Amino acid sequence: MTSIRGMVLAVSAAISLAAVSACKTGNAQQRDTARARKGVQPKTQVASLSGNTSAESAAVLPAGALSTQGTGEWWMPGRDYSGSRYSTLNDINTSNVANLKVATTFSTGVLHGHEGQPLVVGSTMYVVTPYPNLLYAIDLTKPGGVLRWVYTPPTSARAVGIACCDIINRGAVYADGKIVYSTLDAQTVAVNAATGKEVWRVRVGDINIGETITGAPLVVKGKVIVGNSGAELGVRGYVVALDLGSGKQVWKAYSTGPDADVLIGPEFKPFYPRDRGTDLGVKTWTKDQWKLGGGTVWGWISYDPETNSLYYATANPGVWNPDLRPGDNKWSITLFSRDPDNGHAKWAYQFVKHDAWDYDEIMENILVDMPFNGQQRKLLIHPGRTGFVYTFDRTTGELLNAEKFQPTNWALRVDTKTGEHIEDPTKRTHEGVVTRDICPSSTGAKDQQPSAFSLRTGLLYIPAHNVCMDYEGVEANYIAGTPYLGASVKMFPGPGGYRGELVAWDPIHAKPVCSVKEDLPLWSGVLATAGDVVFYGTMDGWFRAIDAHTCAQLWSFKTGSGIIGNPIAYKGPDGKEYIAVYSGVGGWMGAVAFPDVSIDDPYTALGVAGAVPDIKQKTGMGGMLYVFTL
Amino acid sequence: MAYRSWNAQGGEGVIMHPLTRLVTFFAALGGLVACQTDMPPLAAAGATSESPFLIGPQPGTDRPIARPVNPYAGNTAVLADGRRLFNWYNCSGCHGDHGGGGMGPSLRDSLWYYGGDDAAIFASITEGRQHGMPAWGVKIPQDQRWRIVTYIKSMRTPNEQDPPR
Repeated sequence: MTSIRGMVLAVSAAISLAAVSACKTGNAQQRDTARARKGVQPKTQVASLSGNTSAESAAVLPAGALSTQGTGEWWMPGRDYSGSRYSTLNDINTSNVANLKVATTFSTGVLHGHEGQPLVVGSTMYVVTPYPNLLYAIDLTKPGGVLRWVYTPPTSARAVGIACCDIINRGAVYADGKIVYSTLDAQTVAVNAATGKEVWRVRVGDINIGETITGAPLVVKGKVIVGNSGAELGVRGYVVALDLGSGKQVWKAYSTGPDADVLIGPEFKPFYPRDRGTDLGVKTWTKDQWKLGGGTVWGWISYDPETNSLYYATANPGVWNPDLRPGDNKWSITLFSRDPDNGHAKWAYQFVKHDAWDYDEIMENILVDMPFNGQQRKLLIHPGRTGFVYTFDRTTGELLNAEKFQPTNWALRVDTKTGEHIEDPTKRTHEGVVTRDICPSSTGAKDQQPSAFSLRTGLLYIPAHNVCMDYEGVEANYIAGTPYLGASVKMFPGPGGYRGELVAWDPIHAKPVCSVKEDLPLWSGVLATAGDVVFYGTMDGWFRAIDAHTCAQLWSFKTGSGIIGNPIAYKGPDGKEYIAVYSGVGGWMGAVAFPDVSIDDPYTALGVAGAVPDIKQKTGMGGMLYVFTL
Repeated sequence: MAYRSWNAQGGEGVIMHPLTRLVTFFAALGGLVACQTDMPPLAAAGATSESPFLIGPQPGTDRPIARPVNPYAGNTAVLADGRRLFNWYNCSGCHGDHGGGGMGPSLRDSLWYYGGDDAAIFASITEGRQHGMPAWGVKIPQDQRWRIVTYIKSMRTPNEQDPPR
């Protein structure tokens, strides 16, 4: 387990970007990139990380061009462009975390599922709630934290019934004095971080055709990258880049349709022949089915400043019944690398061709530079809904390894030479047939809840599920703005007597190092810190700290509701380290806890009720921020 | 944008202009509202003082208001059709395969945000509700709306069609 402990880890350029000292004026974004290029950390022990220059002094809130995050702050969903969810803070560590206590709490006033994470910029914390998507600014200099202002976006309540899987929001991003996030009714807003005044608000999608936005944006080189949600309602997926200053659209890249719409051109060089060809976003569908083809982008976005590449993956193809859409259904369930300047695709890898299970792969793509078989490689690690953790060379799209991290029987293995999954044909679903005992279920071996990567241990900490299903394709009828599903799904616990597991995964040797089994599926994200502590929460409300090396539990605290949010670490104005997380059950699986969901129908909530019917006895609704310190 | 319409076997779709599709859709499903002959008495939706849709408490009974009556109340012969329509119009997509809830609230339980008697459920389907329930009165013929109401009211009763297993 400790064999890789002493390995030489180079810090990804993306992480080092977050660590260089503040620059205050002019064309800050370009300068960031230039600094990042120069500032790639030496290929020495991870201790080099602790040499990061603290930028807290520059980060006392915001007027103007504050462009670089301090080590004690949390400006973007995954903390840094690489999506590591790794904090270099280490005041809270394995020797003292047992003494962690509640420092303060804050009720968001919203009962539904609290996915996502707060931000900390200077001495202010920003909290985005589930619909109605309020934005709270909390002054951390005052004892217990005092509300500085709240921004209420004008939204349409009709969006509530359009969102497939609770009315959640996965958070905001801070850049250039603005807090930027999206609303459930598919608008993106930029709010002045100091005053709470709206800077701009633009409509990105249309709820009347089933589009919502639940994902957190990322800001790259002055552009806000936003993706849509709604692949269960016949929505056609896309990513847009909005100008950070004005909200005006700069480019839009669809996930289905002709190459001109997908922004595929001469620079597109997929690694595997299976992903090459022209207009595959049209040719791999029957007739015009690609127009309702899903492939939305509601998950996590990463960025590598050194190669100027965006990374994200797309959702399931539209209509879950595979017999209604013969063909590979590109570019659903596909990992894209794009140039953020113009959106043009660099490479793509379709995880699952012609999906038959809703193995929607919008999961996090964590960018790290590590030695792989004796050679320093730029890696992209993608823990998949499919049950496999995939490790790619992110410059080429070559799949280096892919191994199972939870019970998985739809595919036996992945051939890294061809990029193909070797499937069990008896687990492929069809219309009018109940295909039984498929593992994992549509919710996957993990869902949107993001993993964390520790730069000290070189391990990925994956919040996993062990749930299986019976799946039947049924007829589907497209009515704009309503579900376009075509499947009847019933889920149930997987083998082994547990439904959730926190897995510490070695991406180089493609195997687990240690794990913690949990009763309920894990729907919270994970935080790893330089104190060698890993934090996560459970759907019945326990917030836990474990040892990053051994997975031994060091501390646990019961919050008021189930945890489906993602913990963060920050340094308060008082110089102390704090850990913050939302409590508030919900999301796709957690919705079973709601009073208006009935468990005597196991098909309820797209089939999850059968997997977690007991959750009603184990937790209840409630939205609360918890902050802990020593 | 063209819309795809699937036939009952779920096979090859036909691309139609949205308007063409809408008309075909209604025709195929038993006719437009105006064609119904067995229509129960019903005030126009949105009527003011005579509105038949009573959701709130009723302050006295000085002026009794006529409420729409479900022509199929207790009629088990329409339950299979109600179940079919519940799926056909994607009610199941939001409210669960057997009405247990999900995107929309459970229809199996005793909690009704906008009233749970036949007339109130009919009103919710017809007019829509503010948190995303579409106003199906513009799409589903009245007779079919009553069949759906009748099916919903049969949930958790011995008469429930295709109960969850």
